[in-house]
Amino acid sequence: MARAVRASSRADTVILVACVLASGLLTILPSAARDQVASVLRETVVQPVLALQRTAERGRNAILERDGLAKRLDSLTLASARLRELELENQRLRRMVGLGEGLRTGFVVAEVVHTQSLGDEHTVTLTAGRNQGVTQRSIVVAPDGVVGMVTTVDAGSSLAILWTHPDFRVSAQSVGSNVLGIVRPHIGGEGERYLLELTGVAFRDSLNPGTLIVSSGLGGRYPAGIPVGTVIGEVKTSEGWARTYVVRPAVKPQDVTTVMVVQPERLGVGVANLWPKPVDSAPPQVRDSAARADSVSRAAAVAKADSLVNARLRAADTPKSSIIAPKKPPL
Amino acid sequence: MNWRRGAALVVAFLILVTLHYTIRPLLGWRASIDFLVIAVLLVSVRMRPGAAALLGFLTGLVSDSLTPATLGAGALAMSVVGFAASWLRAVIFADNVVLHAFFFFIGKWVFDLIYLIIARGAPPLELLAQAGVWSPLSAALTAAAGVFVMLAYRMTLDPQHA
Repeated sequence: MARAVRASSRADTVILVACVLASGLLTILPSAARDQVASVLRETVVQPVLALQRTAERGRNAILERDGLAKRLDSLTLASARLRELELENQRLRRMVGLGEGLRTGFVVAEVVHTQSLGDEHTVTLTAGRNQGVTQRSIVVAPDGVVGMVTTVDAGSSLAILWTHPDFRVSAQSVGSNVLGIVRPHIGGEGERYLLELTGVAFRDSLNPGTLIVSSGLGGRYPAGIPVGTVIGEVKTSEGWARTYVVRPAVKPQDVTTVMVVQPERLGVGVANLWPKPVDSAPPQVRDSAARADSVSRAAAVAKADSLVNARLRAADTPKSSIIAPKKPPL
Repeated sequence: MNWRRGAALVVAFLILVTLHYTIRPLLGWRASIDFLVIAVLLVSVRMRPGAAALLGFLTGLVSDSLTPATLGAGALAMSVVGFAASWLRAVIFADNVVLHAFFFFIGKWVFDLIYLIIARGAPPLELLAQAGVWSPLSAALTAAAGVFVMLAYRMTLDPQHA
């Protein structure tokens, strides 16, 4: 029994010595041979272990790089947003240059500074003043149309009211049918805050939604042909003798960054041909039938107006104000 | 050792080897847990010294194959550690957690010392820092993990020693 234990113990020692010798032999091998042995091991039994280690290290790198990647992504998103702003700005400036080329003389380019102080959101500061040739009551335009009017002029800057200002008025007409009226800010609810209204339209005249409204040139302040907006629909008022239309403005105040102040001497020459006219792509036959339909609808509108006036005289009540879209005339 | 315990020991050994090549690179600590030493110590105390030395040799050889410049150093160190662990099985079977931790600590530190002496790759100062600072730190972490592994193993598959 004791001999067996001793033999077993001797075998253990022999194995240990063999392992130590083998290890020692491996350590003193030339480096090429060591590489070869290691390579054989890596390509056979160690391969799964190596794959595990590679995956783990890739995971660690992914964790370490995550924050950096998130930061880089944020920067790119920000840059992308700025790029969009720059594109829009570039587009606006190109159109401004195009308008400037059309005007050639008699205008001053100015940047708009939105002060946005409480109760004064309808007034902006322009970065051009008396020294640049801006005069009081000069009109302010953008490539899209009417912006407002200069009210105060300093040496290097000036103040202008936007079309949202309660005092803003412009004599206007519809393109095509030449329906006349006065455009002023629409004092409606919150949703209708930034709209215009075309008032004083003769009751016999009616306008379809989408009709372009431009300045008429009457009154001498705004020359004819500057876009003001497009008709959205008719608004019902207590005035039975005239129609009022709500108009979507051509220029959004918040988008105005650069404007042109038209000097008074330029007004004599006119600016009507500078803004593109709406294209009527319908064929002649369609236009004829549309004109006939207009005359029929006009007659129907006159008849309807008469009946409405009579009804109002009878009822003698005041209807509430609301926006309604005009009905389609019967063909 | 019946076949069930033997299979459980093999599974535990493979899991520890897997952890060595996944957790260690994932954490990337300078003083890291050596799951290979834990695996060899865990199995060696249940084997004859000769077999433990052979297991240590093979495990060390696998480890060395990823660092060919020191091929053989790990195998030698692991052989010695495995053999010694098998001789000291009485210690590891004691029901004292501190003793277990000490066993794993010494096992890992001895392994590192033998490895550093055989490898001789680093300058003396760095070698001293490694042997005196980083190796004990790594050994402490290995001891903590080793105790946890041993207790978990005993509680699940070797209840009479838990």
